[in-house]
Amino acid sequence: MKCYQCGAELTEREYCPNCGAAVKVYKRIISLSNRYYNEGLERAEVRDLSGAIESLHQSLKLNKSNIQARNLLGLVYYECGEVVAALSEWVISKNLKPDENAADDYMDLVRNDPSRLETFNQTIKKFNIALNHCHQDRLDMAVIQLKKVLSMNPGFIRAHLLLALLYLNNGNYAKAKTEAQKSLKLDTGNVMAQRYLKEAEAMMLPQDAKSSDENNDKKNGVVRYTSGNETIIQPVRSNVFTRSGSIWGIVLGVVLGIAAAYYLILPARIQSMNASFREQIASISEESDSKSAKMGEYEQQIASLNSELESLKSEMSSYEENGSSGSADNDLMAAVSIYLNNSDDMDAVQEKMDAIDLNNIEGGASTQFTDLYNSFMVLVGTELSKRSYATGYDAYRNQDYETAIRALSKAFQYDNTNVDALYNLGNAYYESGDTDNAKVVYDQVINDFSDTGSASSAETKLAEINNASN
Amino acid sequence: MINFENELKKFRPSLEIEDAEEIIYNQDLDDMADVLVGLFKDAKAEEMGRQTRPRQ
Repeated sequence: MKCYQCGAELTEREYCPNCGAAVKVYKRIISLSNRYYNEGLERAEVRDLSGAIESLHQSLKLNKSNIQARNLLGLVYYECGEVVAALSEWVISKNLKPDENAADDYMDLVRNDPSRLETFNQTIKKFNIALNHCHQDRLDMAVIQLKKVLSMNPGFIRAHLLLALLYLNNGNYAKAKTEAQKSLKLDTGNVMAQRYLKEAEAMMLPQDAKSSDENNDKKNGVVRYTSGNETIIQPVRSNVFTRSGSIWGIVLGVVLGIAAAYYLILPARIQSMNASFREQIASISEESDSKSAKMGEYEQQIASLNSELESLKSEMSSYEENGSSGSADNDLMAAVSIYLNNSDDMDAVQEKMDAIDLNNIEGGASTQFTDLYNSFMVLVGTELSKRSYATGYDAYRNQDYETAIRALSKAFQYDNTNVDALYNLGNAYYESGDTDNAKVVYDQVINDFSDTGSASSAETKLAEINNASN
Repeated sequence: MINFENELKKFRPSLEIEDAEEIIYNQDLDDMADVLVGLFKDAKAEEMGRQTRPRQ
C-alpha cells in the first residue's frame, strides 16, 4: 500500500513514514475496496455476474487503482456480452499499471481474434437496432432481430432479457420463462431475470406450467410424481437401447447405405472400370502393332545399310589395291634412296624391298618401275638374295615353312640365278604339303637349271610326288 | 404485473466499439481516496485561512 500524498510504501503505523500524512482512514478505504473485490470474486465464481459487477464497482469507487478488481470487472462484462465495457476497463487498467498487468493478456485474446470481435460488434449493433424497434413499437421486428443476436452470441444476457420482456408483452409466457431461465443460467443473481421468470410463471396457465415442467424434467433426465404428501423426483431409468434409439437408426442407415452401394453403385462402377480397361488394352495393342510395323521397317533399313556397308568395304579394298602400286613405287624409291645415302645399310634396304609385292601391283608395274627395279637389282640383288636365302633356309630347317616359302621366294626374286633358293623353295612347298606348287617349282629347277645337282634332286622329289599321287 | 414501457426504459443501448474511446475518456475515475485527499486539502486551507485572518 502506498501513501496517497507522496507515494511512499506505508507501514503498519497510522501515518506515512516519509511525509507524515495521516493514513488511518485511507488504509480503511483501501481495505474496504479489497473486501468488495473479494466479494465480487466470490460472486463471479458462482456466476452471480450482476452481484459481481455491483461489488466490483463499489471496490473501484473506493480505490480506482485496484487493478485486480478492474480486470475482473472487465472479465465479467465480457462474459455478459458487453465487450466494449470490458475493453474499456482493461484499457484503464493498463493505463493505471502499464507493467505486469493481466489486462494485456485479455486484450491480446480479443485482438488476436478479429473475426470474433467483429461478431461481437455486429451483435451489439443488432441489439441496439432491436431496442430501437421496441421504442418505435415494431415489436415483431425486434423479436426477429434479437433471435439473430442470440444465434450469434448466446451469452448476451441483456438480449435474453429483452427478448423475455417482449415475449411477456405479447403473452408468450412459456418462451418468456425459457429466456428468463437462460438469463439466470448465465447470471444467477440477475434480479431482472428473476422478476421476469416470476411474472411468466405467474401468468402461465397451470397446464402450460406442467407441460413446461415436464419438458424441463425430460431435459434434466428426471421423473417427478406425487406420493401422498411428498413430491418424488426420480432419475429416468434408461439403458443404452432406449436412450440411444437414434443410434440404431444410424446403424440401420449405414447398413442400408452399404447394401445400396454393393447392389447399385458397385456393379456400375465395375462396368465402367472394365470399359476403361478394354479401352486401355485396345490402345496398347494398337501401339504394339505400330511398333512391330516400325521394327519391320528398321530391319529393312538394317539390311540395306549392311549391303551398303559391304559395297563400301569392297570399294575401300579396291582403293587399297590401287594404292599398292603407289606403295611399291614409294618402297622402291625409299630403298634406292637408302642405298644411295648409305650402301652398307642393307637391313633397311631389305626391309623396303621385302615390302614390295610384284605380283599384286594393280595393272602391272610401269616400265619406269621395272627399269629402276632391274637396275637396282643389278646392284643389290645378289646381296638381298643371299640374306633372304639365309633367312628362308633357317626357317626351313626349323620347319617354319610359311616363313621359309616367303623368304625363299624373295631370294629367287632378287636373284633368278640362285638355284639353291628355288630348289629349297620347292622343298618348303613339298614339306608344307603344297605339292602342286612344289611340282611347279621342281619343274622350273629341272628346266632352268638342268645341269645342276639341284635339278637331279628335283627330279627325284618330283618322282616321289608322282608316285605318291599314283 | 410488469409494465412493459417502464421495463423498456431500463434497457440502455449497448456500447459499440466505435464509441469505446469516448467512453474511456469520459469515465469519472475519482474514488474515495481522491475525495479524502480533497477533504484534507480543504481542511488544511481552512485552517491556514483562520490563522492568517486578522483578529477583530
